[in-house]
Amino acid sequence: MKYSYNWLKWYIPDAPEPEKLADIFTYHLAEVENLEKLPDGDTVFDIKILPNRAHDLLSHQGLARELSSLLNIAFVDPTPKYKIPESKPSDLKIEIESEKCRRYSGRIIRNVKVGPSPEWVVKHLESIGQRSINNMVDAANLVMFDCGQPTHIFDLDKVQEKLVIRQAKEGEELTTLDNKECKFKSADMVIADAERALAVAGIKGGKIAEVDNNTKNIILEVANFDPTAVRKTAQSLNIFTDARKRFENDLSPELVSYAMRELSALILEMCPEAIFEDVVDVYPKKQEQQKLKFRTEKISKVLGLEVSVEEIKDILKRYNFSYTEKGGEFEIEVPHMRLDLNIEEDMAEEIGRVIGYDKLKGVVSHVDFKPKQNELYTKIVWARNKLKEEGYSESMTTSFANKGEVEVMASASDKNFLRTNLTDGLKESIKLNQTNAPLLGLEKIKVFEIGTIFKKSGEEMHIAYGDKKEIKEITLDEYTSQMEKNSVALPASGLRHEQNFSPSASPVFKMWSLFPFIARDVAVWVSDTVESNQVLKVIKENAGDMVVRGPELFDEFKKDGKVSYAFRIVFQSYDRTLTDTEINEVMNKISEKIKANGWEVR
Amino acid sequence: MSDNKTGTIHPLTLLADEAYQTFSELGFEIVTGPELESEWYNFDVLNVPKDHPARDMQDTFVIKNEKEKVLRTHTTAVIARAMEQAGKDGRMPAAFISVGKVFRNEATDFSHEMQFYQIDGGMIGENISLANLKGVLTHFYKKMLGDEVEVEFRPSFFPFTEPSIEVFAKFNGKWLEMMGAGMAHPNVLKNIGLDPKKYQCLLFGGGLDRIAMIKWGVPDVRLFYQGDLRLNQI
Repeated sequence: MKYSYNWLKWYIPDAPEPEKLADIFTYHLAEVENLEKLPDGDTVFDIKILPNRAHDLLSHQGLARELSSLLNIAFVDPTPKYKIPESKPSDLKIEIESEKCRRYSGRIIRNVKVGPSPEWVVKHLESIGQRSINNMVDAANLVMFDCGQPTHIFDLDKVQEKLVIRQAKEGEELTTLDNKECKFKSADMVIADAERALAVAGIKGGKIAEVDNNTKNIILEVANFDPTAVRKTAQSLNIFTDARKRFENDLSPELVSYAMRELSALILEMCPEAIFEDVVDVYPKKQEQQKLKFRTEKISKVLGLEVSVEEIKDILKRYNFSYTEKGGEFEIEVPHMRLDLNIEEDMAEEIGRVIGYDKLKGVVSHVDFKPKQNELYTKIVWARNKLKEEGYSESMTTSFANKGEVEVMASASDKNFLRTNLTDGLKESIKLNQTNAPLLGLEKIKVFEIGTIFKKSGEEMHIAYGDKKEIKEITLDEYTSQMEKNSVALPASGLRHEQNFSPSASPVFKMWSLFPFIARDVAVWVSDTVESNQVLKVIKENAGDMVVRGPELFDEFKKDGKVSYAFRIVFQSYDRTLTDTEINEVMNKISEKIKANGWEVR
Repeated sequence: MSDNKTGTIHPLTLLADEAYQTFSELGFEIVTGPELESEWYNFDVLNVPKDHPARDMQDTFVIKNEKEKVLRTHTTAVIARAMEQAGKDGRMPAAFISVGKVFRNEATDFSHEMQFYQIDGGMIGENISLANLKGVLTHFYKKMLGDEVEVEFRPSFFPFTEPSIEVFAKFNGKWLEMMGAGMAHPNVLKNIGLDPKKYQCLLFGGGLDRIAMIKWGVPDVRLFYQGDLRLNQI
């Protein structure tokens, strides 16, 4: 979610500078995906709130409260700022028929005027990438991004008789505010009037009771729904909204009262002539006060860091947790919004992240355990070493295929099956590498792959190896049947000691050019007193800067006191396709220099 | 250019071998497991309930006409299976390491591929802590990327660990996200028949391809699975 720095400062005027705040988020709370400076001087943080804190942190107030506790700075309570409207008794009828609705609060407001929002509202919404629509929609959005509670507004005059929160009828239909046609199943929950479904509960409002420019009287909805029910319905209708995101992660029903007050006050500010009726609050089962016990000793043991009772008390006080403590054992009253705190280990995380994980000293541990040798790995290493010695190079190809016996659902690619063999992939690999044989310095391409294939009967570990003429594929078990029992898996011939596997920072991989290469051979007749290196040197010095491989001596033979050396050179550019003409020029130059040495080009 | 040359080995294999050796030296046992995994081990055992937003954290390939089967999205399940068996065999405390192919159903680009290799590990005992996790992983990344590497923990969330952390390594002056880790959630230990009151278990898991890309400067993860021998340079 995006958070405006200036908005946060409403609540925590003593907040540190944005850059410092970003570091605090990173090391004590959540990942900052982006930090953007706006032209008006505001800074916007895009913070990745994970599911365990979606209950309380997907809002400016929630984040500000967290920061106030974390940094031990003042939190300015916004409640007194909102004028509570005077209200009259209401005859709004709300009926909760589905147990998936945990609380439903409604309020009728008459004589509103739909129009543009005050500038500060527009500015707040725009700072976090939201568009201002009209004062009613904006008020609802502002409340959600401010305190985390999704709300909805109906046009009272389009609602027949009452609001009913019920399961949908099988096949019942609704058009959403953004003109999406929904067809419900009975597992879906809707907000309806006496006749029709008006909204998809907790997800999206419908067209029927939409607030428009002529709307005079409205009903505010501030409610709480079961997270799983919301998630299932949203998934089956394929609707993603900010409301869904909050409800499916579970919100405290206790948040409803505050949000209703904030939404009412905003509408009063926007429409001073409005006439408010009393809130009708249906709340069948109040959220229970959770208590959580934890031991100081356990916290220290999980973290591997000595934490004192006093340190924990300090944190609990900063976070306004009511607690009792006796001999290092705490019992806290978990705040309603902190649905993530259920077990002792949750407190270890809470205390660990507040203190900071940088305080942990890394300790390499050994346990009293006798590892057994892994049979599959031993076989793989044995087979791989054998094939490597025989000149086969290792290839890895995709596990996905166009056809097969095991099909995956809804793949992001066009290959929807799992491979039934390694051979098909290896054939492609050989084809590709054969084209590149001069680049690889190989005359003949020999490859192998060890990997899983998938049949109806289950998966099997296969091994395939071969060249362009023939590929053999058998199970790894068959291939290793000649392996001696008790063979020890030496991790691939002691790689650690091969110089290339130094853990040093210098990269040794060189990305290849994506342009075609040109391979040329040159054979030179010289007196047999001339070493091949002397010839190579002359070729190398005159081959230009497009050489990616060679010159490499690939053939030599002697006859009548003379010797023939044949070299191969591979040319390739990293930024263009080389032409034959320019390479001919290079080769001509090489020939001239060879002749200038008194040698002969064959 | 003779035909008798020995072949070349894929860089991910070299890295996996090195990782196995490093953890073997710390007393970890190498374990392997199936690529087609049951939903139970891939999700439920790891405290990722059905119909919970946490299941969205990984895009999963579901198998057609085979209910309850998925292409594994991690190799943490392999560690969980091994711990479960070790518990039954009375082999506690214990430590396991696994490198294996995993799958994610997502659009591919230079840093995302539908298949990649993941390294997962766990160590269980009566006094295993987050500090041990830091020690073990710091040792590992120094072996992989060099002695000058630093490791730091940042807060995170995974359903199967509590506390959960994101592991970052500083390589060539930059902090890079390397893996997810934490202490096994008590529900995970319960699910595999171990007593969370008695045991604490560190868990970690992350992409091997990513380490290879960072270590050797390989620019595109997709290069690893194209059967291109130009990759075997190491």
